[in-house]
Amino acid sequence: MFLTRSEYDRGVNTFSPEGRLFQVEYAIEAIKLGSTAVGLKTKEGVVLAVEKRITSPLLEPTSVEKIMEIDSHIGCAMSGLTADARTLVEHARVETQNHRFSYNEPMKVESMTQALCDLALRFGEGDDESMSRPFGVSLLIAGHDENGPCLYHTDPSGTFWQCNGKAIGSGSEGADTSLQEHYSKDMTLEEAETLALSTLKQVMEEKVTPNNVDIAKVAPTYHLYSPSEVEAVIARL
Amino acid sequence: MAYWSPYDNNGGTCVAIAGSEYCVIAADTRLSTGYSILTREHTKMCQLSDKCVLASSGFQADIRALQKNLDARHQIYQHQHNKKMSCPAMAQLLSNTLYYKRFFPYYAFNVLGGLDNEGKGCVFTYDAVGSYERVGYSSQGTGQQLLMPVLDNQLQSASPLLLPSKESATPLSESEAVDLIMDIFASATERDIYTGDAVEIVVVNADGIRREVADLRKD
Amino acid sequence: MAMFMQQQTDDSSFKKNMLFRGQQDQSSALPSVGFVPAKSPTTHTQYPYVTGSSVLGIKYKDGVLIAADCGGSYGSTLRYKSVERLKAVGKSTVIGASGEISDFQQIMRYLDELTLKDKMWDDGNTLGPKEVHNYLCRVMYNHRNKFDPLWNTLILGGVKNGVKYLGMVSMIGVHFEENHVASGFGNHLARPIFRDEWKEDLSLEEGILLLEKCFRVLLYRDRSAVNKLQVANITAEGITISKPYALRTEWEYKAFQNPTQGVEGSW
Repeated sequence: MFLTRSEYDRGVNTFSPEGRLFQVEYAIEAIKLGSTAVGLKTKEGVVLAVEKRITSPLLEPTSVEKIMEIDSHIGCAMSGLTADARTLVEHARVETQNHRFSYNEPMKVESMTQALCDLALRFGEGDDESMSRPFGVSLLIAGHDENGPCLYHTDPSGTFWQCNGKAIGSGSEGADTSLQEHYSKDMTLEEAETLALSTLKQVMEEKVTPNNVDIAKVAPTYHLYSPSEVEAVIARL
Repeated sequence: MAYWSPYDNNGGTCVAIAGSEYCVIAADTRLSTGYSILTREHTKMCQLSDKCVLASSGFQADIRALQKNLDARHQIYQHQHNKKMSCPAMAQLLSNTLYYKRFFPYYAFNVLGGLDNEGKGCVFTYDAVGSYERVGYSSQGTGQQLLMPVLDNQLQSASPLLLPSKESATPLSESEAVDLIMDIFASATERDIYTGDAVEIVVVNADGIRREVADLRKD
Repeated sequence: MAMFMQQQTDDSSFKKNMLFRGQQDQSSALPSVGFVPAKSPTTHTQYPYVTGSSVLGIKYKDGVLIAADCGGSYGSTLRYKSVERLKAVGKSTVIGASGEISDFQQIMRYLDELTLKDKMWDDGNTLGPKEVHNYLCRVMYNHRNKFDPLWNTLILGGVKNGVKYLGMVSMIGVHFEENHVASGFGNHLARPIFRDEWKEDLSLEEGILLLEKCFRVLLYRDRSAVNKLQVANITAEGITISKPYALRTEWEYKAFQNPTQGVEGSW
């Protein structure tokens, strides 16, 4: 990919002469290997849907956890190194709980996203506490606050974007194109569930079952769908 | 000479009353030490945001340090969250700030008044180490014992003991509440040597914040 | 109350201090094998040794006047008689201190450092009375937070950008601005006179006369006041601090010769 690769791709805190931080760019590449995740915003709430790669019939599907609750009004879907995501989610949970402790109110979704992105870029060769490399994970953050439903996308560079619909992971290019075609601001939450899952279906190699996808919504509180609720969405495809 | 003390009580009385769509916060402007008056024009009030006013009596240096601390915290909050802090959020922050100094307390007795997220009047009342409660009205400071029973009697608010609980805001109109405050401060000034000189009244409603000052006895 | 009556010393605390020292001696008399007595907190900074009495300050038409005498008392002994208790800070502020003289000298070292660093910026900005007052409030309050107070009441006045400023700060950090201020006994004896006679448009002469009138009362009533005072005048043009001078006093009143004569009751 990078033809001018040189010794500059090793140090996490060294810019190349062209002005790039290769390790951060490689981390973004790592996401393109991850399982696909889709997020859609509607006026009623936000839907997250993820593909779970069940690599063996002996694997317990519920142990593959790619959508997590951050606070009762925020959930997040991940793609990339999910182990890294756990560190980020843990940090986000502490931030939101701290905010509740200090101000007796839920944290704004944007503030929480910003707090996560501050951590995402806090890596280097410094003290033992901090991460030695960038986090190899991208997040879709779904939430609801005083400004209504919202969806954010973060990447390893610590940048975040607000989106109406977004796909991340290996199938993200195809999925994003599909979302751009079919998304409408006025769609219902139910329509968004269907669109999210059908988009996922297009980019998945296996057949969609309640075992190999997870769906969650924030409308206005976080809820992870049970297998029967997922089945109901599959039935609408 | 008596042992040195890190505390002094500089006196003063604070009152706040919540209506359904307004809040009145008031405090006198006398600053005393012992039997001496230090100054007759010292505000005990601090506007913390556009919908939130703090009135405090107790030890003036602690009060000022507390106000500066909250001001700074509010500034940081605005940078982090792109909004002004709501009155209930400020109430929780004030409680934490007071409790943080539990073993060397701020000698400050606070009432926090303003509008909540629905635009209703709200009053929060505190002790020096951060215990707090949302109420319909409250008073703090040296004139508290004189004022509180009058407020209980005159505000016609539902008792907080009623079950199921009822709206704690007073049914009085804004101007009736302001008139009542002028009267009770004039009364407290008669008997409390630490209250007097002038009363500063701040009204918070949907239109914004209005401030007025009325003279009290200076003796 | 206590902080504005710094010059008084009464015997009870003195006895308590003696008792305290006695306790320390006992602990050092214990067998010293592996025994380390717990370090008791510093308390010797919680009362004053050499103190200055009242400082008075007023605003007048063209600026601010601050007056203080030159006495330094060691308890009830008038130990020092040429103490300068008025000091200029920068070009627009004067500070007058009552209370512990050595603590005031320490404060002046803080201020010299502050003004020097401010000068080194060389940006044309200088600290005015408002800034110095705020700084001193933090210094006094931070010391009280460490239970190591600077045993002073400071009066601070100045003129900057055409605005007159007069304020004070106590040893525990209580602070305010006023048109007239007084520390120590002045708060009891001078301020009632200020409240009667002070007005915004006093001339320089009237202002000095008012301060001298109040000082004369203090000379008669405050045993630690000394008839050798200085007056600082701060205007937009700059600062002048007068040489020490004495007030004319009259002690030949009959009532002074035998104050108990004709008084009923016993004292």
